[in-house]
Order: sequence, then structure tokens, then C-alpha cells
Amino acid sequence: MAVNPAENEFLRPPSDQAYASNLRETSYYNPLDTFKLPTGPERHYQQQYGDMYFLRLAKLKPAVERMAVESWEGFNIAGERARRVDRVLDVRQGELCWVAGTIYMDMPLKPNILTDLTKENFTLAPPPRRTYLDPSQPESTQIMLEDESGRLRLTGSLLRSTQLATGAIVAALGTENANGDFEAIDIKVPDLARQPRRWERDARPPSETGSTSGKIAFVSGLGITGTSSDTLSLSLLTDYLLGYTGSSSSTSSDASRITRLVIAGNSLGASVAVDASENDAVPKKKNPPKKYGYDASAYNPSPITQLDSFLAELLPSIPITLMPGASDPANLAFPQQGIHRAMFPRSRSYCAPPPTGEEKVEPGWFDSVTNPWEGDVEGWRLWGCSGQNVDDVLRYLDFTTDEEGNVNTNGDDESRIRIMEAMLRWRCGVPTAPDTIWSYPFQTDDPFVMQACPHIFFAGNQPRFNTAVIEGDAPFKLNGGDTEMTGTDDTTVGPRVRVLSIPTFRETGELILVDSETLKVEVVKFGTFSGKEDQQ
Amino acid sequence: MAIADYKKYLAENVLNDRHTVTYTLLSRALRVHSTLAKQMLYDFHRNENDKKPGSVNATYVLTGVQNPPAPSGANSTHVNGDDKGDDVMQSSPYMSSMPNQDDAASDLVPSTSILLVREEDLEDSKATFQSVSSIFIYSLQATTIQDLNSLTDVSREIASTYAQEDPLECGKQWGMIQNKNVKRRTGTRPPVPAPAPPASSKPIVPSKRPAQDEVKHQVKPELKKENSAETSTRESTPASSKPTEKTAPKREKSNLFSSFAKAKPRQKKEEPVVPAVSGAESAEPSGPEDVVLDDASEEEVEELFPDSGKSASTNTRETRKEREEKLRKMMEDEDEDEEMPDTTEPPEEESKPIDQPPPKPAGLKEEVTVQGGRRRGKRQVTKKKTIKDEEGYLVTVEEPAWESFSEDEPAPLPPKKKPAVSAPKSKPGAKPGQGNIMSFFGKK
Repeated sequence: MAVNPAENEFLRPPSDQAYASNLRETSYYNPLDTFKLPTGPERHYQQQYGDMYFLRLAKLKPAVERMAVESWEGFNIAGERARRVDRVLDVRQGELCWVAGTIYMDMPLKPNILTDLTKENFTLAPPPRRTYLDPSQPESTQIMLEDESGRLRLTGSLLRSTQLATGAIVAALGTENANGDFEAIDIKVPDLARQPRRWERDARPPSETGSTSGKIAFVSGLGITGTSSDTLSLSLLTDYLLGYTGSSSSTSSDASRITRLVIAGNSLGASVAVDASENDAVPKKKNPPKKYGYDASAYNPSPITQLDSFLAELLPSIPITLMPGASDPANLAFPQQGIHRAMFPRSRSYCAPPPTGEEKVEPGWFDSVTNPWEGDVEGWRLWGCSGQNVDDVLRYLDFTTDEEGNVNTNGDDESRIRIMEAMLRWRCGVPTAPDTIWSYPFQTDDPFVMQACPHIFFAGNQPRFNTAVIEGDAPFKLNGGDTEMTGTDDTTVGPRVRVLSIPTFRETGELILVDSETLKVEVVKFGTFSGKEDQQ
Repeated sequence: MAIADYKKYLAENVLNDRHTVTYTLLSRALRVHSTLAKQMLYDFHRNENDKKPGSVNATYVLTGVQNPPAPSGANSTHVNGDDKGDDVMQSSPYMSSMPNQDDAASDLVPSTSILLVREEDLEDSKATFQSVSSIFIYSLQATTIQDLNSLTDVSREIASTYAQEDPLECGKQWGMIQNKNVKRRTGTRPPVPAPAPPASSKPIVPSKRPAQDEVKHQVKPELKKENSAETSTRESTPASSKPTEKTAPKREKSNLFSSFAKAKPRQKKEEPVVPAVSGAESAEPSGPEDVVLDDASEEEVEELFPDSGKSASTNTRETRKEREEKLRKMMEDEDEDEEMPDTTEPPEEESKPIDQPPPKPAGLKEEVTVQGGRRRGKRQVTKKKTIKDEEGYLVTVEEPAWESFSEDEPAPLPPKKKPAVSAPKSKPGAKPGQGNIMSFFGKK
């Protein structure tokens, strides 16, 4: 049976060999509090959402106008020069001009609170739809450009081939036609924001030249439901991350190089909520005694207990950043705040101490962060979300039928990467909040606008793994197409973003590793071999 | 390592009791390195099957590079190649700089597979691999496992049986990847079902929490001993002693944990602790932080193991009633919900010495008492007083006055206490209140 020496290591009689302990590489970690909401009485929900659009437009308008000026300055058609118009309502009919504003899309199947009210249809939450488009009447979708003055309907063939979603800030070039619609002939987006250098926020650690580079591990959609069926690949994952799986001789997939695990949402399976609602459906006992807190009949604690022990098993060896997702016990409205440590009786001793006053506490070894989340890992800026942003923008866009007219479902995961690229270029990570993603009504700041372009942009809970590298325009010519991001000469290299769509672990069993020097990606897949026994 | 041991262990568990033994279980049970445990499983499997073929069944874990499944490679390349034309960025001139070679490379993302395989399928599954970098026995059992998921029962069993073992200490022994930077805070250990040692008379040695001392701040053992000795002597005195008024360092101990714990241990514990610490303070010339520290950690231990020596009589019942009353109030009062996140801050707060004073809205000075798990106190505030002077004019004078406040939930007072603490009006956290309508109009 012996094929290679590594194989022999475990398939031989025990010996008295002493085992050197394996040391994990250090993780450099510096999260940002971009999406932390104020706590306690400072968190209000009475504000209007309009402020968010106002703030977003105010922040991004200069950027998009700079882009527009660059490319449309002196642009003319038949002797008519394109004129810049400040407000959408100032657009005059028949005049070639360009204007910047927020995209608003009116779609037939989009949840609309006013329609619900007029139909006296007071459902708790609209059922999730695959798409907001109505393929039977494509003309019912209206794309509008709005700013603080008003709205302007956009038309033109360009729109059919352009991906747009509510909340994106664009500049459109064109003329207003006889119907009062704006015939767009070109559209500009703000494009990638300034990308920070590597280690910009941290002191660069002393580079141990001898040491190998670390890796950042990403996983999402663990989907723990508390039943036995879901934990086998989970325990394989645990064994792998703790180093029980790898052989000591092989270095390529050595788990000790993984410096941090990022869990991007949906750690708990969806059935947690279902169980609770099922219990609600049971007719209540007459006059139930008012009981404070834990009620065992309405709550199944085993998923969260299992997640806790999963984390507690890993934490002695690897630091973890945990983001909540749609099915996790966190608030539903974006930005979701971190899962409270009280949920993790075993893991919480690795948390940061509770914040005391104003001074900033050191991030915990186990960091329960927000969703979306932004932070620095190994000097790289990470911007990630548990996937709701991508899922929702996808509902605005029609990817099911491409230009040849054939339905392709495989293109779906490709389109997800393209949506993520579009978000980077819109400089808005969650454009559809607060329109179709529930959101906190921000009053003074729109954190969904990306102030800085990340190095790694990830979205969790996607159907399939996919990755790409997005490049912005370089101020200078690239010297050699395939330069690695070294961090030192970033001034000469335009922004490069590693985009990751992280698959649901429960379905794919995949863990994504990103090399912290080269940002190269690899996949580790866990599973069982369904042999003869299963096929019967 | 005791070679004979593992044979006996495996023979008992696998052959006699027909249990499933994974390498993790074996390495935990015999306290050996996981690699060694894998080798033991292999050795046992080979020997037993040599004696009697088919007596022991194994599952393997294969690590390696699998052959790519045929269909998935094809579709992702073409989309990037020619569909790019109708992108949103199509108009951008730099779109051409979007490196296509990277998209091609995305298909070549190196992928490692870690597969759990039955013994019967071992050769079949090996055929799906391009290369196998490691293979080991995951578990042994008497017969073929029908459902591989049943293996998780074993890991669950491990989790419950060996929950006591501190992974920070034992991990090295098992062959876990060590991390020298791990940060763990002191404080309560997870609620492990552990036999509670009688905590009343002997000094509490943190036998259950050995790793915590090394992790963060050191707890002075001598101090602890003295303090608990103090506690035990105080216990003999009647517990009716009024809580002493105390100052700054004690304040941080708002003791939220105890207000969430059952009423019984709290009542029992609180009263001895307060005088004990104040006694220790006066007796012990060392810095106040030490005392706080010590007290906090000790208190948690006591929390876990309520000493049964103390008599809990009418006092306890009263408190429970009082608490029930409190809870009902809490539920009826909707505004209280807002306060909950603050109150639920876990008890670890106590393990950290903080000199930060509690919020004092208008206070100049304050004195705080910890009583029954709640933080009470008086503070000096300036009050406006309007009096008519001798000429008949109204004169407003500001004068300092003492006002009582309580940090926690207003509650009916224990009868022995003075009625001076009228909590509700002096609650510090201002109610969130309705949003001011001006904030709606006051848009920028």
C-alpha cells in the first residue's frame, strides 16, 4: 500500500518518536469600526432614510463628476458640446448634457410598502424573490436618475446592456427627448476608490525573511442545525484547522500557516427560525405565566451550542473573526451587529474585554464583528459581507437569459463576481440598502460607501466558489502585467482587488485560503466519499 | 508510550463493546499525540485482521488533489472571454486592463480535498485522486458504518467527556498547532458539569482554572488565602452587619452576574464578601487594585460553587419574592428593554481592574455602596432653591445637596434599609424617548 513516504507516516506501527510541536504564524489584525452602530439610547430609528441617499450622493458626486469631466470634457456631437448640468431638473430638452445622480429602479416585483398598504396586505416580511424583474413585461422596469431636486427617467439602448441597481451613483451623458425622458448614451461610475498601501494603518511587523507567508482562511454558511447530519465535514474542518489532518512532512497545505479564520455569516442553519415559528403556531396555553428569558419550548439551543463548541475548539489555536449572516441571531437590518458574546458561553473567554468608556480596546482573539465588516488582516484591507448585498443586487439584474437568449444558470456565479466588481466601481458595498435591504437609518454618515478600496473583497454564502482580480487604472504604466502586490511600490501600481465569492460550506464543504503575501487563492474541500454503501 | 495499553483499550472498546473509536478519541483517552494514535489504530487494524479477517473495519481520511470534475471547467472561461462587452464598465477605457489571465487562472485555483472514506471504498476513491498526500485511519469499528454521520456522535462524546481538559494545555500533547499569541481572559470558565468542591473553609485555589494565571494578570495567591480566611471568619459573625459604605475601587463591581444568577447564591455570598474585602483593605497595605482583582476572581469561583455552609433562611425567600416582583416590573415596563443590553454585559467586567468611574450626571462627589448586588450611592448635586427673602423678593440659591441614586434596576428596598434610596427618579441612563420633531426638520 505504501505509495509515498507521507503515506507511510500514519500507516505504520507506533514508534517512540517524539513530535515537535507545530507553531502557528502570527496574525496581524486591526479591524475597523465602520459599521458599528451606537449603542443604547443613541441608536434611533425615527430618522428618515432620505438622508442616506443624500449623504451618499454628496460623498460620491465629486468622484463621479471627476470621472465624467475626464472623459466627456470637450465631447461634442455635430458641433454641440456636452454641457454639465448640476441638478437633474435643470436638464433642458434637446440639449446634449451630462448630469450626476442616484439610480433608482422601479420594478414590478420589488417590495413596496405603499402597495402593501393600499392592498391592506400587512405581511411581516415580503417573501424573498429570486428577482424583482417581471420577464413578461420588461418595459415595466423603469430606471431613474435622482438627486435632491427630482427624478429623471432614463431610456436608451445602453441601459439594456448596463448593470445598474438602486443606490448606485452614476453620471449620465445624453439628451432629454420629447417624452421628457433622458436618452443616455454613456454612463460613468465613480470607479475604484483610493486603495491604501499595505500596512498603512499598522506598523509593519519586522519581516522575518525566513518565515513562510501566512494564509487567511474564509468560510461561510456553516449552517449548523444541531442535527448530526451536518457536523461530519465540520469536524473534518476542525481537525484540519487544528493540524490533526496534515502530515508533518508536507508543507503545501500546512494548516499552521493559516493565521486567521474569517467566518462570513450563516453559521447557523436556517431551521432555527423555522422551529421557533412552528412553535408559535401551536395554540398558546391559556394565560401562560409571564416568564422572563429562556423558554425551552420555543427555542432550540443546540445549534448555537454546537457553534459555540466548534469555536471553542478552534480558538486555542487560531484567531477567529465571526460575521453574522441572514440566519444568525443578530439584528436583521444592515449593518448587522456582531453576535453577542453571551451566546457563546465557552468561546467568550477569548473575546475582547467589554468596552470601557471611550478608549479603544484591543480586538479580541475571538472577534464577533459586524456584517458588512471592514478591517485589516496581515496589513491588507478586507471588506466583506455575508452575501446579502450580492444576492439582492442580483435580483435587480437579469442574468438568467443572456444576449443569445439561452438560459444559463452557470453564468450565475460569474455574474456574482461581476456584481461585486460593479460594487467596487460604484464605491458602494451595499447599494440597495436601504431600498430593498433593511438598513439602519443613518443620519450623519453612509458607511456603505467605500472610503477606501479594499485589497480583498468577499461575499459569503454564494452558491459556488469564484474569484477574480479587479484592477483600476494605474496612474503610471504597469511594469509587467503580473506584478505581485508587494505593498512597497503601490504608488506606481493601480488598485488591484482580489474578489472572492465564498461558497456555502454546508453545501460545498469548501474552505478558501488566501495567501497573505501574493493574495493567491486555494481551496480545501471537505467531504465524504459516497461509495457503494451510499449509492445503494 | 504504553504500547500494551492501546491494544487493551481498543480491544475492549472496538471488539467487546462494539464502539467506534476515532483517532481523536484514542489520543484523548490515552493522552498521546494524534499521529501516534493514528499509528496505533493502523497497527491494531492490521493485527486483528491478520488474526481474523474482517473483524475490524476502518474509515480513512484521504488528503490530496482530486481530478477536476469534467463539466465545471468549461463554463466559466467563456463568460469572461466574450461577455465582457456589455459590462457596466464597458465604456471605461481601462476595462481592457482587466487581466484576463487572472480569470483563466481562477480556473486553476489549487484545490485540496480531504475526504472521509470507508474501507471498502478506499481504492475507488483513490482512483479519483490525482495525487494523495496523506492517508490515515480516522476510526475503527467492528462493522462497516452504514451512515458516516454517526461518526459525529463520537466527536460529540469526546466534547462532553473531555470538556474539562484545557485545550491550551493539552493541545500540545495531542499535536494541535500551537499559537503563542493566544489571548484568553480570566473569568468564569464555561459551565462545565463539574463536581463542586466545598468552597467555604479552605482557601480557594484555582485548580479548575490553571491556565488563566498564565494568560493575563496574576492573582496573588497569598492575598487570596488571607482574603478567604477573612471571609470564613466573617461568616461566623451574624450577617446582619450593615454594608459598609465604600469608595472608588469597589465601585466597578456592579455585579451583574449575580443579579442574573439565582437569588440564593447571591444572597449568601454578597454579605460576607463585602465586609471581608473592606476588612482586607484595612488589613492589607497593598494597593487597592490587588484587592479588587482578587475579590473579583474569587467571587466568581464562589458563584460557581455556592458554599453550602451558610444558612439561607427567610432572607432568601424574601429576596426571591423581591426579584420576582422586579422581573415582572421589568417585563411590563417597555422602556426597560432599552436598558437590557447594558445590563446583560457579561460578568467579565469584573475581572478587569478599571479605575473608570461610573457615569455621574451631575455629581460632584459620590459614595457608592454595593448592596444585594445592586450599586447604590449618594452623590452631591447642586440644587436650585428658591426662597423668599426678608424683603419679599424671590431669591434663587444654588446649594449642594445629597441625592441618592442607584445604578441598577429600581427595586423595593429590603425592609431594613433606610427609605432614603428612592431609585426611579434618579436612574442615570436617560430614557431614549421620542425623537424630537425638530430633528426631522433640522436637516442640513
